[in-house]
Amino acid sequence: MGKTARHLRPLAALLGAALALSTTACGGATDASSAAEAVDISGSISGQTINYWSMWKDGEPQQKVIATAIADFEKETGAKVSVQWQGRSNTEKLVPALNTNNVPDLVDGTLAKLAPVIGETGQASPLTSVYSYELDGKTVSSVIPEKFTSNGVFKGEDGQPWMVPYSISSDGIWFDAAKHPELKATPPATWDEFIEVLDKLKAGGTAPIAADGDIAGYNSTWFVTSLLRLKGAGSFKALAEDKSGAGWDDPAVLEAAQKVETLVKGGYLNSGYNASKFPAQQQLWANGDAALILNGSWTPTETGSYAAPGFEYSSFQFPAIGDKPASARVDFIGFAVPAKSKNQVPAQRLAAYLLGAKYQDALGTDAKVLPVRQDAPVDPAVASVKAAIDAAPATHLQNDGVTFPGYTEKVFFPRSDELFLGKTTASEFVAKMKEAQIQYWKDNG
Amino acid sequence: MSVGLKEPRAGKAALQNPDSRKPVTRKASAQGRQPGSSIDVQRKKLLVPFVGPAFVLYTVLFIVPALGAVWISLHKWAGSGPMKFVGLDNYGRIFRDPLFLSSFGNTLLLLFVVGAAIFILAFAMTLVLRDMAGKKVVRNVIFFPHLINALVFGVLAGFIFNPGGMVNSLLAPLGVTDPPKWLAQDNIFPLIMVTLVCTTTGYFTTILMAGVDRIPPYYYEDCALAGATAFQRLRYVILPLTWDVFGTCAVLWTISSVKIFEIVWVFGGSSGAGVPPTQSWTAAVYTYVNAFSGQSTPAYGAATASAVLSLALISVLVVLLRRAMRRDAVEF
Repeated sequence: MGKTARHLRPLAALLGAALALSTTACGGATDASSAAEAVDISGSISGQTINYWSMWKDGEPQQKVIATAIADFEKETGAKVSVQWQGRSNTEKLVPALNTNNVPDLVDGTLAKLAPVIGETGQASPLTSVYSYELDGKTVSSVIPEKFTSNGVFKGEDGQPWMVPYSISSDGIWFDAAKHPELKATPPATWDEFIEVLDKLKAGGTAPIAADGDIAGYNSTWFVTSLLRLKGAGSFKALAEDKSGAGWDDPAVLEAAQKVETLVKGGYLNSGYNASKFPAQQQLWANGDAALILNGSWTPTETGSYAAPGFEYSSFQFPAIGDKPASARVDFIGFAVPAKSKNQVPAQRLAAYLLGAKYQDALGTDAKVLPVRQDAPVDPAVASVKAAIDAAPATHLQNDGVTFPGYTEKVFFPRSDELFLGKTTASEFVAKMKEAQIQYWKDNG
Repeated sequence: MSVGLKEPRAGKAALQNPDSRKPVTRKASAQGRQPGSSIDVQRKKLLVPFVGPAFVLYTVLFIVPALGAVWISLHKWAGSGPMKFVGLDNYGRIFRDPLFLSSFGNTLLLLFVVGAAIFILAFAMTLVLRDMAGKKVVRNVIFFPHLINALVFGVLAGFIFNPGGMVNSLLAPLGVTDPPKWLAQDNIFPLIMVTLVCTTTGYFTTILMAGVDRIPPYYYEDCALAGATAFQRLRYVILPLTWDVFGTCAVLWTISSVKIFEIVWVFGGSSGAGVPPTQSWTAAVYTYVNAFSGQSTPAYGAATASAVLSLALISVLVVLLRRAMRRDAVEF
């Protein structure tokens, strides 16, 4: 025993030292950031350095545009930008960094990913000065279409915007205009016309719709968009927020689910959609084995390498149901500045700089994505989507911006999958959702 | 783990002279309360420099984060920003969540059903492999799947089981016009179980074979002379003489099966681009989705609570397993 005790003593001392070491290493980890003020960003930033964690990887088309912008920015302002091209995991890396004092000065990502991490937790600087900053005689806020900002998606709890978008993405029902010129000439505007198109395609021996049924986010778009067509943008979020679950009794909700059921029961979906692995179905669509696919504005770039020769990308918007003004889905990619950053001014200046016409044009024509500026030209493959967004009176986010912890993955996706994969009927889906949502809010309210 | 770590030859010599394994000097130092022999002093001096770095690293990198996880599990926290203390709420919520229970059930299926299949097959293979010509080549072949990244199996599953994939193309000429929906959500977990059996059996066969190879050949000659069947040989010779190896393997499987994650992640949900269907979730996937799904505000409290529960599960199972498998090591 004596020997053991003698051995334990130094070990105990070591344990103490180790604990002390690790607590100092995490010192101050839990102090919440204080509400930051908007800063004046117009002064000289020559000689200042910022650290930027990018969502793009070296070599991606968007990365090339941003790298050019950074080179010009450094030359023009004399500031230095140190970039880490981290890729999409940059937001996951940001979470632990925000608990230290060693934060990046500038990060970018989709609104859907940045909002839960930095926007809703109050850890981002207000970027009011970026919005009022002038580029070529125009303020940043004047070049971002008002309908993108009017619903307040970029605003934090303090009412100040914490994100500046530089690019957007959207969705549409895609088809090969070379094979189906009639759809380009007269796209179906209403649900009934849409079903007519599907029937015609089916009668002609073509599978009407391809869908990668293993991606819950794609499956749920059918129900969510149907609901938004019936009840307007923001209605799905309101439905999900309803703690009593009574919203699910609304006949419009059942009608939206029935639209999905119609597609399933009507045999409009390509056989095997419910037992395949992404990207099998979109490949088959790009090969011309199915006519339509509901997918994002990234479809031309994502499927371009395996599309059938002569494939001409075009799309129409999800058809109208009822008489609500049809909103277009717009998801945002943009910059945020952590509140703890010590280089606020140059970081915010760079965020504004990417909204310059030169880089916005390059995003549209070189990177072939949708720039946030309405006056920037885009590639012909996404021209149909851009036209739809420009024409739409309002916009909505993917899943209507629902980000309650675990709601999407544990409550909504499993049940919307069942509906879309034909395992439940519309009324069963509505009943199950109501029950699960009541339980969810009981546990998380 | 003690079964594996126990000194295998703690036999005859120790019985004759219980003290023979200990350093001769120890008794003297303990009795005399002296500073001890030079060996003992040296040992003490070396304890800190030798054990210290590993101990400090282990404490900083494992024990402190584990305690930190327990602390986080008592809060509602999005990973950064304010933390709200909620006590044991996260645990209560997890136990009420049917998804956690089904995920946990899947983990138990992996642990027991896949585990049983693996060890039955592994023992069967050791029986066959021992006498087989070219057994070294075969060993390498069956070990090989274990070296391949799970991502490969996830992608391969698509090639093989997609509606237009290999299996259905092979079945079509045989007149099967309506093949099963291989990759339907309900079929993904059974497929994962089969894949795990295929990839892991070789690994444990290799370890068990090492134990079997240790058995002196004269026991087999004895068996042959006594007219023992292959099963009797397994029952009376191989199992008792490889019991310690088997025990270690069982503990290793228990630990790794509770952590199985990446194969589930890549099998369903488009090779990692989305969240896999809930039917195939394991406790580890449940933990990950809560914190990192990217579809909603992270719930670090609930995620760490489910991780802490998994840790508790492993600890209890390992202790039970060690109890159940406790045998005196057979000397040979």
